[in-house]
Amino acid sequence: MEVSLNSQAATLERPMAATSTTNLGIPVYIYATALASLSIIVGLIWDISWHTSIGRDGLLSPPHLAIYFGAVVSGFFSGYQVLKTSFWGSTSEKQKSVKFWGVFYGSLGALFCIWGCFAMLTSAPFDDWWHNTYGLDVTILSPPHSLLALGMIMVQFGAMISVLALQNQPDPAHLSQGQRQLRKNILQSIFIVTAGFFLVMLFTITSQYQNRNDMHGVTFYVVGALLYPLFLSTVARASKLKWAATYTAAVYMLVLMLMVWILPLFPAEPLLGPIRNFITHYQAFEFPLLLIVPAFAIDFIMQRKGHINNWLLALIIGPLFVLLHLAVQWPMGDFLMTPLARTWFFGQESWYFGSNPNYEYRFAFADWQVSTGWSLIKGLLIAMVVGILFTRLGLKWGNWMKNVMR
Amino acid sequence: MKALVKTLFISYLILYIHPVNSHVGSPGVIFEGEAGDYQIMVNINPPDVIPGTADIQVYSTTEGIKQIFVRPIYWHTGDEGSPRADEAFPVENSPGQYQGEVWLMENGAASIEVKVIGTQGEGTALVPVMAVSTAQKEMDASLGWILGGLGIFLVILMITIIGNSVSDATQAPGEIMPGQKRKKIIGMAVATVIIALILYGGMSWWNSWADSYRRYMFKPFQANSSVEQTKHGKKMTFQIDSSYLKYRPRTLSFNYMIPDHGKLMHMFLIREGSLDAFAHLHPVRKDSLTFEVDLPPLPTGKYFVFADIVRGHGWHETISDTLLISEPGMNVQLASMQNEGSWQPSDPDDTYIISNPVQPEQVMLAASNIVTCGKPGIKTPLPDGSTAIWEHDGESLQTNRLYPMTFSIFNPDGEPAELEPYMGMMGHAVVMKTDGSVYIHLHPVGNYSSATQDLIKRRIEDENPIFAGFSHAEHFRDSVDQVVASIKAMSEEERSNYLMQLMGHELNYEGEGEHEGHSVVVFPYSFPEPGNYRVWIQMKRNGKVLNTAFDAVVTE
Repeated sequence: MEVSLNSQAATLERPMAATSTTNLGIPVYIYATALASLSIIVGLIWDISWHTSIGRDGLLSPPHLAIYFGAVVSGFFSGYQVLKTSFWGSTSEKQKSVKFWGVFYGSLGALFCIWGCFAMLTSAPFDDWWHNTYGLDVTILSPPHSLLALGMIMVQFGAMISVLALQNQPDPAHLSQGQRQLRKNILQSIFIVTAGFFLVMLFTITSQYQNRNDMHGVTFYVVGALLYPLFLSTVARASKLKWAATYTAAVYMLVLMLMVWILPLFPAEPLLGPIRNFITHYQAFEFPLLLIVPAFAIDFIMQRKGHINNWLLALIIGPLFVLLHLAVQWPMGDFLMTPLARTWFFGQESWYFGSNPNYEYRFAFADWQVSTGWSLIKGLLIAMVVGILFTRLGLKWGNWMKNVMR
Repeated sequence: MKALVKTLFISYLILYIHPVNSHVGSPGVIFEGEAGDYQIMVNINPPDVIPGTADIQVYSTTEGIKQIFVRPIYWHTGDEGSPRADEAFPVENSPGQYQGEVWLMENGAASIEVKVIGTQGEGTALVPVMAVSTAQKEMDASLGWILGGLGIFLVILMITIIGNSVSDATQAPGEIMPGQKRKKIIGMAVATVIIALILYGGMSWWNSWADSYRRYMFKPFQANSSVEQTKHGKKMTFQIDSSYLKYRPRTLSFNYMIPDHGKLMHMFLIREGSLDAFAHLHPVRKDSLTFEVDLPPLPTGKYFVFADIVRGHGWHETISDTLLISEPGMNVQLASMQNEGSWQPSDPDDTYIISNPVQPEQVMLAASNIVTCGKPGIKTPLPDGSTAIWEHDGESLQTNRLYPMTFSIFNPDGEPAELEPYMGMMGHAVVMKTDGSVYIHLHPVGNYSSATQDLIKRRIEDENPIFAGFSHAEHFRDSVDQVVASIKAMSEEERSNYLMQLMGHELNYEGEGEHEGHSVVVFPYSFPEPGNYRVWIQMKRNGKVLNTAFDAVVTE
């Protein structure tokens, strides 16, 4: 050991100090970054809904403010944490941090949040220039939007890592058994919630490949196999909770459902022409994928086979995820096309104001959207291979996260 | 029944459409007319990138205006598909001027509806605009440096984060196990490679986005102009290159061309450099892409060619080219002047004019009836003995300022002239910057507005928010050809009356003071850039077309 200090003693030397909110030893920036993560995801979905319902926005539109609020809160609290630890922090605080550029100390989560904040702020003038140069894009994925998305993801990931590091550190010595349990519950809950927000983000930025018309095509399943086994395996491995992936998927579904239920309650009218679909209220974003089903399976397998070789585990989880995703989403795709889904609960009536409401494939699968025969089998096999590889990656990532302590 | 509806629709298009002016380098749209009981002048500066915002300036001297609203109406979706109007607000320290902004979200033929509310009730006017992306922008150096700096900071910070993630971050507080430094370096090296690959991918993505934008950006159609000597004189062929059509919507097919002032194409030939020869011709369609015209006896040299055309949904554009008129082995200047007088125009309204060169040091052509170009504010003699004056107070002309270019014509005895309609209008004007970078074909106040209003009104009356599409392309073209041929076959008087009716135009032209009657022609225009300009105007007096030109210097 290059340095050896008793961390518990160090904690006692300066118990929680000014960076802690309560005597549970959970710093304010943990709550702040979790709030930032929520603000970002709500702002993003609101913004998408704004663009499909109203169209015209400015730099300071309410959804943008919600997103910037997330960036600023996470950046401010994380920056403060880094500067305070670097220049006014105690030895023990520095020892719980990573050192960088010779003078700075900070938690890894704070660094991710700072990066995310700067990336989001950089994307604003970039996006503005982009709109002036190539027109106001009505797509989710463009280079400046991708930088923004990367920033948002990093803020959200920073929130997760900050909680995990705290959770992975030894409990503060001064806490009673009850306080330790309470602290553990709070940290685990915040982790699950921030992981759920992160999952919403993953879905949102790739949602143009995952709407109801995509659910009978193999691309949908390849994209799903790329994103969800990776992240759900990571969460299941990193969290100390028994049903971590299931809870995460539940948070994901709840957030999206709440957005589907709440946004259309508010009036909205298109302010840009041409208007082809005449609407009077906000158009909902997507109904969530039923990820709780494969997530439950992942937790179940992890509980029973979590100890076996990671490659073998990936061989089970990857294909299982694809099959369960297929078993759930294929019929769900059919259901979402029916009038039963055009209700407040599922929100499938929602339609961009500039699109023809009588579009023949609005509530039907076009031929080119449906994979059949060999192309379906080949696509699903590819999805399974992708699922295996990304589950394996997720397990590795989860192992790393389990060990993050700073 | 369906066929009848289509025929009626085509007939309507042929009879009623009258677009805003075509142009090169002069995208602003200017309108002067009435919105109900309010006399207004509107200057629209359309966005150069779509989606984008159009800047709208409304001027009015009518008293009692309370509010002005503006909104976009697209041909394809009609007024049903338009958002609610935005208010144009009074401009501070500029009485009678209002400024508004309208978003144009899609490429295509659109119009701006200007609604005026005041003590005299409500009134609306419709001003067509073409929504197209034309600009290819570069990033400002200052923004580039800021973004570049932030980008470098982000890259360095991310490499730092990854280096720490695989080393120190997984160490218990206060403990650093051996080998962490090495892990950190390896982590940072791998991160550098991965980030470099991501940046490369991002750059390729950006480039492909820019390529796609460039591909679908508005680019004028190209054409090939050529001349051949026939026994009757020189025949010019104008062949449009249709290869660009694959990036354009089907409605821009050349089969959907419709006549404007009774002509399918208005072509202007202007001698490059000296601008001393000018022709306004109306080529005849041979097939959907080929047009022919018998050239007047123009002097040899290289010419700018501008051909203005209109499609059935109001889309208008200018196709430009250059043409070399040569006569090998003969005197360069006078070669083709020898057959002056023997020219048989392909169209009865074809005209040409020879004037003094734009630069005094350039050689004057030797021809009869040479027109001497005037200058703003100075009375200029015309070849038939009458005189014209561009009424201007002597101040230098400035860019981006709306001018009612007012031309007064006087008989040889000094009395105000009685002008007659020429191709259904009281006058035609062409404004060109001497280097050819700005060209626009203008018409006087009030003419196009009423017809355009009529067109858009018809579209608004159609309650279908989504345009159903044109009829079969060849049927459309045949119908148009028949109408154009029948207009051409009319006597001059018949044609003139017919076109006047077509434009919904009455001889109620308003003049001022001593120029009452039809002695004044006004062309509202805003010069887009500084430089030397020549303005040709064409009117009719005593049954003869009067051609003249003026030179003007425009400053910033």
